[in-house]
Amino acid sequence: MVSWLNDNVLWLIPAAPLLACLWIVVAGQFLRREKAHQPVVLGLIISWLCALYLLFSVVPSTFEHTAEHADEHAAEVKDVHHEERHAAKGGAVTYYVYDWFSVRGGNEQPTTMTEDQARADAGGMHVRVELRADAMSALMLVMVTTVSLLVAIFASGYMHGDPGYPRFFGALSLFVFSMCMLVLASNFLLLFVFWEAVGLCSYLLIGFWFHKPSAAAAAKKAFVVNRIGDFGLILGIFMIWTTFGTLEFSQIFADPTLIAQVAIAQPEIFTTICLLLFIGAVGKSAQFPLHVWLPDAMEGPTPVSALIHAATMVTAGVYLVARCAPLFMHSPFALQIVAGIGAATALIAAITALTQNDLKRVLAYSTVSQLGYMFMSLGAAGADPEHLMQPAVTYAMFHMFTHAFFKAVLFLSAGSVMHAMGDVIDMRRFSGLRTALPITWITFLAGALALAGFPLLSGFWSKDEILAVLHMAAQSKEHGTYYTVILGVALLTALMTAFYTFRAYLLTFHGPEVFPPEAGHHPHDAPPAMAIPLYILAAAALLIGLATGPTHLYGHYLHHTPGMPSAPAHGPDWLMMMLSTILAIGGIAGAHLVYGSHRGAAGVKDNASPLQKFSFNGLYLDELYIALVVKPLRSLAEVCEMFDRMVIDQIVDGVALIPGIVGSILRPIQNGLVQHYAFVMLLGLAAGMVWMLQSLTGSP
Amino acid sequence: MSVLVVLILLPLVAAALMLLLDSQATPVRARWSALLATLATVGVSLAVASQYTELPTITASQRVKPITPRMELRHEWLTLAPSTPHGVPTKFEFYLGVDGISVAMILLTTILCVSAVLVSWTAVTERAAEFYAALLILEAGLLGVFCSFDLLLFYVFFEFTLIPLFFLVGIWGGPLRKYAAGKFFIYTLGGSLITLLGLVSLSLMVHQETGLATPFSIPDLAQALMSHRLSPTVQYTLFLMIAAGFMVKVPLFPFHTWLPLAHVEAPTAGSVLLAGVLLKLGSYGFLRLLLPMLPDACRNIGTPLIATLSVFGIIYGSLCALSQNDIKKLVAYSSVAHLGFCMLGLFALNVEGITGGVLQMINHGLSTGALFCLVGMFYERYHTRQLSELGGLATQLPRLGVLMVFTVFASIGLPGLNGFVGEVLALAGMFKVDMLYSALGALGVVLGAWYLLGVLQKAFFGPVQLPHAHDGHAEDVPDLNAREILTLAPLLALCLYLGLFPQRLIELIRPDVEGVVHVYKATSVHDSKVAEGETQP
Repeated sequence: MVSWLNDNVLWLIPAAPLLACLWIVVAGQFLRREKAHQPVVLGLIISWLCALYLLFSVVPSTFEHTAEHADEHAAEVKDVHHEERHAAKGGAVTYYVYDWFSVRGGNEQPTTMTEDQARADAGGMHVRVELRADAMSALMLVMVTTVSLLVAIFASGYMHGDPGYPRFFGALSLFVFSMCMLVLASNFLLLFVFWEAVGLCSYLLIGFWFHKPSAAAAAKKAFVVNRIGDFGLILGIFMIWTTFGTLEFSQIFADPTLIAQVAIAQPEIFTTICLLLFIGAVGKSAQFPLHVWLPDAMEGPTPVSALIHAATMVTAGVYLVARCAPLFMHSPFALQIVAGIGAATALIAAITALTQNDLKRVLAYSTVSQLGYMFMSLGAAGADPEHLMQPAVTYAMFHMFTHAFFKAVLFLSAGSVMHAMGDVIDMRRFSGLRTALPITWITFLAGALALAGFPLLSGFWSKDEILAVLHMAAQSKEHGTYYTVILGVALLTALMTAFYTFRAYLLTFHGPEVFPPEAGHHPHDAPPAMAIPLYILAAAALLIGLATGPTHLYGHYLHHTPGMPSAPAHGPDWLMMMLSTILAIGGIAGAHLVYGSHRGAAGVKDNASPLQKFSFNGLYLDELYIALVVKPLRSLAEVCEMFDRMVIDQIVDGVALIPGIVGSILRPIQNGLVQHYAFVMLLGLAAGMVWMLQSLTGSP
Repeated sequence: MSVLVVLILLPLVAAALMLLLDSQATPVRARWSALLATLATVGVSLAVASQYTELPTITASQRVKPITPRMELRHEWLTLAPSTPHGVPTKFEFYLGVDGISVAMILLTTILCVSAVLVSWTAVTERAAEFYAALLILEAGLLGVFCSFDLLLFYVFFEFTLIPLFFLVGIWGGPLRKYAAGKFFIYTLGGSLITLLGLVSLSLMVHQETGLATPFSIPDLAQALMSHRLSPTVQYTLFLMIAAGFMVKVPLFPFHTWLPLAHVEAPTAGSVLLAGVLLKLGSYGFLRLLLPMLPDACRNIGTPLIATLSVFGIIYGSLCALSQNDIKKLVAYSSVAHLGFCMLGLFALNVEGITGGVLQMINHGLSTGALFCLVGMFYERYHTRQLSELGGLATQLPRLGVLMVFTVFASIGLPGLNGFVGEVLALAGMFKVDMLYSALGALGVVLGAWYLLGVLQKAFFGPVQLPHAHDGHAEDVPDLNAREILTLAPLLALCLYLGLFPQRLIELIRPDVEGVVHVYKATSVHDSKVAEGETQP
């Protein structure tokens, strides 16, 4: 059993949700619609158990296999067909599925080299579908499958009675499959494939209620903006391919000295690669300037917002940069850009979140802001990549981990509010829900405290560590000023986060009790299918940071990732811990001061002052893009279309007129008058005579 | 009799029988006969494919020519005595054969023809026998192009395809059908006359300079040109002449304006074959004739010129598509962009690029063919293709909606569906040669998502907005029926199959792609030797 699991656990994780999806697609017609969640929940339970098993098996296998690593590798090379392979490659478990496509470069060398060497040497492009898991992927998988499972259970209650119930669960399981494959991809192109595939699922789920024009527009916007990021990513992948001659993670990240050589030989190319990869991350993780799609993505059903647009898919960009840490390490410039973009995003999104009236949009901007936090952490390494890369990656990944839980619970309880309020989510239309929805109230409060960074809760630990690494970066000699500014932004954002989170909390759950008419007279709190996931996630939001942060469980586990740069350990940063505590409590207190005794739903003032409007409209960035990018492109398209009709096509038609015109010039000659013909004949004869006479007289 | 002859003659004979024996046939009889004939042709093409794949493989070292047709059928047709006593006679041949690339194109053609018949099932009722006969004649012509390995035969088939399509557009087309048919015919014919001039002068030049007895045999000619290289100036002139017709056919910017017009006016079946196969005759011509025969010209002026035009076409075509209101015209402009990827790949002149280009030829045929079928299907129901008049089709016709979403994602190159591998290989191949072309081309991928998802957003999603249906209420319009689903099923199944398992197709064309690339490897080695010789006197 154990050996069977060892061999098959890797493919079971993505295969279970895929099978669930296929089951719904193929057999959905013949099943009762309201049972559609059953195969999905079952598949996700299998995935989740397998992910947990992987979590505990992948790291011990590192120790077992490092000794015999060399032998294993040799054996692998001999096994050309590798039908079914499960081997440890320097701390990673792999499972070969099939060769997707492969184009040989043509320089077929005699086969004295090993296959991999020959492949790398001959050029060409070889992409095989192979699953590869190491410590980093195992942690991601546990996070993805846990949140997915809970969200799916929640959705079975939340989406109950929707006409698209089976379609929802089909797309949801397809998403979990794609996300797991994204994490398990063993090469850059496969990563790109599932990078786009999660984008597709996101498109299908944002546009789930496609008869709503806003949902249809938001879905398109999300996909197209993501494509801009993908454009950078694919070019980065091409550049990796031309620089390293391979796309396999195991070959690129295996040898740090090789990367260092390339980085020293071609520093510009190397920085370009990192920046192009980062463009991909900016698109997927909704960073400035491509963050505008995420708030609109809230048009999707709330469980989707919780799963895709808060906990999992949007963190793919962070994962990509963390995965490529061995590359980014050699480009401090790219890392500084990462930190700068992260800081700008965190600040812009936090400012915008301050004045939103839509509870889900507050959470969406908060997600954008927290993702910015993760990138700030990654970018902190730019001050001193040698020493800071490892803590930077660890803390970014840790914040992603805790964020997944507390943001999921926030979104799901927001969904529970919507469920009770008859799909109203505007905080100006309800208040004081504390007594009517006790379950939702308590779980939302847990999530809000964690997000605000209240001491000892999940967000506190991870945020504090990010501040600590930024503090270290700020102390570096070379880029100290730059990182001091970023640290300042991070602290300011922490204060604002606490403030807007509790503004939303107070507006929704405190004050006099007001229900919108859509809610009916007796709004009902979450039924068990929704309540249980809420409780579990709330508990995680409270405790998971304490359990894995100060104990260094998460960090130590992550260090087993092969290729991760190592660095000396460092103690807790008391200064930052104190500062962040003060900021969190200050923000909460500030919110209480302003909104603590608000006069109910009607009491929320509209955003009147210019500053408030500026914040409410997200710094007018959407309008700016429409004015500067969309409109000009649309006009350019109009111009092209006109040019095509009026110029190019007219030229073609004009050329076609030439024979006719020539004909009409020559036509009078053929006028049928004999005397004209005789005259022309005479002229011709005369000319001929002149020519003949001249040639006869022998003029040379 | 060779199976290739059967392949070409079968649709031709079927068409002749329909016209001669049964020209007054009812639409029902005509369409069933046509369906039978196209299905039989699919059968023959599968036989060709299976025979081809069972042939022993040729390794790179055994390969002597850049182009190696298999299953050859050569008959001397006419021999011209030499003009001088010591000269060599010139032989004209009837020369059929297939290589991996043609097998792939043949399969694409026969499968698309079945869909073309099925999509016309109820749309064409007037002069149905003649319509289906024209369709079958077109099929024969297309198959002939892909089987020909003699220059003249190739050219004859190449031009022959214009005639049935001219009638398809001109008789069964939209309101502007006569203008469209005339423009399309004269424009492409005008281009290809220059091509003919170039081809004949190339053959005669090689015949005179090397004494090649069969200067019209494409493989022999390519081989002769490998050992005997023409001077660069001659190559450049010939390249521009021969490329003229192909550039119009592909179509490359700025020679594309006949295409949107022809598509809008053509009946659905005509559009399917026009976009699916006819355009590929242009890129096939580049790949079959220019790439192996005029390497210096391709490298020195082909890559900069064609790649620039392709990149321009990708961006310009996408922008034009973005501002269209007519969905069919939008898809037509998207073809300009997609063929740009294909040409970008071919003129990367390396294995990745050319493989990507050929894949893109097949993939574009499948996904755009399916798109045109879908457009035809809702046009048949609502008699409009204007984005501004449609909305919420997916709510009204859920099956159509699902298939449209699938096809659109195949067309914008979603990984896992067919378009992706071709685009990635083509762009990667070009990336190796010139990053800028590749990066600009990749921009087209963003724009492609924008305009095609725009179609989904406006026409298929949102609140239901239907024009007044032709007869009766728009609400009563039925969803896709079994026949319509069968029309699309093979195309969409292939989209998925080629997306997940492209390797079989890549293996099919690999030897022939390597043959072409070998020309460039050999000439670059030759060049570097010459350069070394010059530097070391």
